[in-house]
Amino acid sequence: MRHLLAHVGPVFHKELLDAVRDRRSLMSALLFPMFAPLMINLLFGTIAARERSAEDLVFHVQGAALAPGLMAWIERADHAVVETDGDLFERVRSGELELAVLVDPDYADDFAAGAPARVRLIVDGSKNELSPLVRRARRVLESYGTQVSTLRLIARGVSPDLRTPVQLDELDIATSQQRSANFLSFIPLFIIMAAFVSGMNVAIDTTAGERERGSLEPLLINPVSRNAIVIGKWLVTVVFASVGIVLVLAGTLFMLQRMSLEDLGIRVDIGAMQVVAILAGTVPLAFLAAGVQLLVSTFARSFKEAQTYVSTLIFVPMIPGMVAAVSSLPSDPWVAAVPSLGQQVLLTRVLGGDDPGLALFLVAGGSSMLLGLLCVMLTAWLFRHERIVFGVAN
Amino acid sequence: MIEVRNLGKRFGEVVAVDDVSFAAADGKVTGLLGPNGAGKTTTLRVLYGLLLADRGDVLVDDINVTTEPQRAQRHMGVLPDSRGLYVRLTAREHLRYYGRLQGLTAALVEERIERLVGQLEMGTIIDRRVQGFSQGERVKVAVGRALVHAPSNVLLDEPTNGLDVGATRAMRHLIRQMRADGKCVLFSSHIMQEVTALCDHLVIISGGRTVVQGTPEEILTTTGHESLEDAFVSLTGIDEVVA
Repeated sequence: MRHLLAHVGPVFHKELLDAVRDRRSLMSALLFPMFAPLMINLLFGTIAARERSAEDLVFHVQGAALAPGLMAWIERADHAVVETDGDLFERVRSGELELAVLVDPDYADDFAAGAPARVRLIVDGSKNELSPLVRRARRVLESYGTQVSTLRLIARGVSPDLRTPVQLDELDIATSQQRSANFLSFIPLFIIMAAFVSGMNVAIDTTAGERERGSLEPLLINPVSRNAIVIGKWLVTVVFASVGIVLVLAGTLFMLQRMSLEDLGIRVDIGAMQVVAILAGTVPLAFLAAGVQLLVSTFARSFKEAQTYVSTLIFVPMIPGMVAAVSSLPSDPWVAAVPSLGQQVLLTRVLGGDDPGLALFLVAGGSSMLLGLLCVMLTAWLFRHERIVFGVAN
Repeated sequence: MIEVRNLGKRFGEVVAVDDVSFAAADGKVTGLLGPNGAGKTTTLRVLYGLLLADRGDVLVDDINVTTEPQRAQRHMGVLPDSRGLYVRLTAREHLRYYGRLQGLTAALVEERIERLVGQLEMGTIIDRRVQGFSQGERVKVAVGRALVHAPSNVLLDEPTNGLDVGATRAMRHLIRQMRADGKCVLFSSHIMQEVTALCDHLVIISGGRTVVQGTPEEILTTTGHESLEDAFVSLTGIDEVVA
């Protein structure tokens, strides 16, 4: 054991020096962390802009004069009414108008007769970004109908309550922070990706690269155990991956602070404790990511092949994050032990202002570290094989 | 001292080394001579512990390489077939890395580096990154890191391959110097002139077998040839190809 540690040191030191001087390794470590906060900024910006544009909703109406009551209702809801000529369908289709309201020529007569008076809300359902706007417009128009029918029922001496035999109340028990955490579920995704992306090139360069450049054979002639060599390479990869994690986190916090999240009804409280918890939760994943990447790159027949395998591998830990973005993650206890799924759960809870408990950290971190170590031992075992050391040519 | 007894090594169906035996003594230069594909590199790789022999014994300073590879590796300095250097490291960083891997203390490594810089005339390149080094400069770095732990046995696989005249002469000078220091020097080559110029002891292998060994004079006497080249050609069966 003492021998092992004595040999890990020089390998670690040399690989760190080599990787820091390698532009490609530095780029893959630093580029993604810069890209992630920009993505977050863009995402939030789009969502915020959408919410804000719903407030500036303008009703382009044809036949406003036929429905003065409806128009007054719209204006009382603080939305502008603009009388508009031409083919409304065409103008919505071309994107010139976001939506339009067409009052039926028979509206006034039908309304007076108490028959359903027709109003057409013309929208383009293929434009996702307009859906908050459309929702709001529909709500304003429907609320007018409800209001009128209530008045009519009262005028006829009928209680409007008859219209609601069942009163449905939806009570959301999530705190506003938890709702934010759902909304912020892609932040864990970026942090988890950093664990896989930032050390990637180091893992490939120190294994497949070392063999391809012919420096593996001289290295292995030294009286050093394969374990010590692989552990040294592993730790340097972990350092790069961890730097990536820290940078993504720092960039994300910086972005969140600059943005006015209150507009979105989101509250994010990330203090020093949360930062420590997030790092303690994700750095163990870097040990697994590095281990798997070393194993795969050592097994690959060339540098290029290793690159293909390792970059495909990045998509695996993204799956839980993707699932979390569209639905909820399972909450069974075993989930914590599944690498990257466990981290996703852990980070979501930390960002939601929860204390996940020490046990969850230990299970999630421990399983990743152990699996990472297993990969390292397998890699060291591969390095004892002639086919791996000298390539297939021999 | 190096001893190889009845070494055999195959890769799947291909027999790389069939039956090789020889001894290389301290204070002597031993040449492993054979045509391309004779099994020289495979023999050396078994010797420095990277390939496992199917058959036979390999001893370095009486240490069995098969059972105690790491102990044996401490007694060997090797210039392997692939010289592979790290282009982003300086020559000094190469020597330091290998010295540390050999278990030398930091102070001792620095002392050895200073000595090697003088011995190999690396003064102008020692603190430059290897990127852009000439072939000769690269070999100096590779030789330097093989010698940083002052091994008693030195294994050189085709040491003058790709070197120009000046660098080849420097390499010969170094080999003679190591012999004078009492080291056991074993080098492989497929170039006759190379071997005749340097070797005290000659081992000719062909088709994975030791064909003949001894001093150059002994080989001439046993084979009855006028020159070593004639002996080499007839023993390795190259003439059959030519004719």
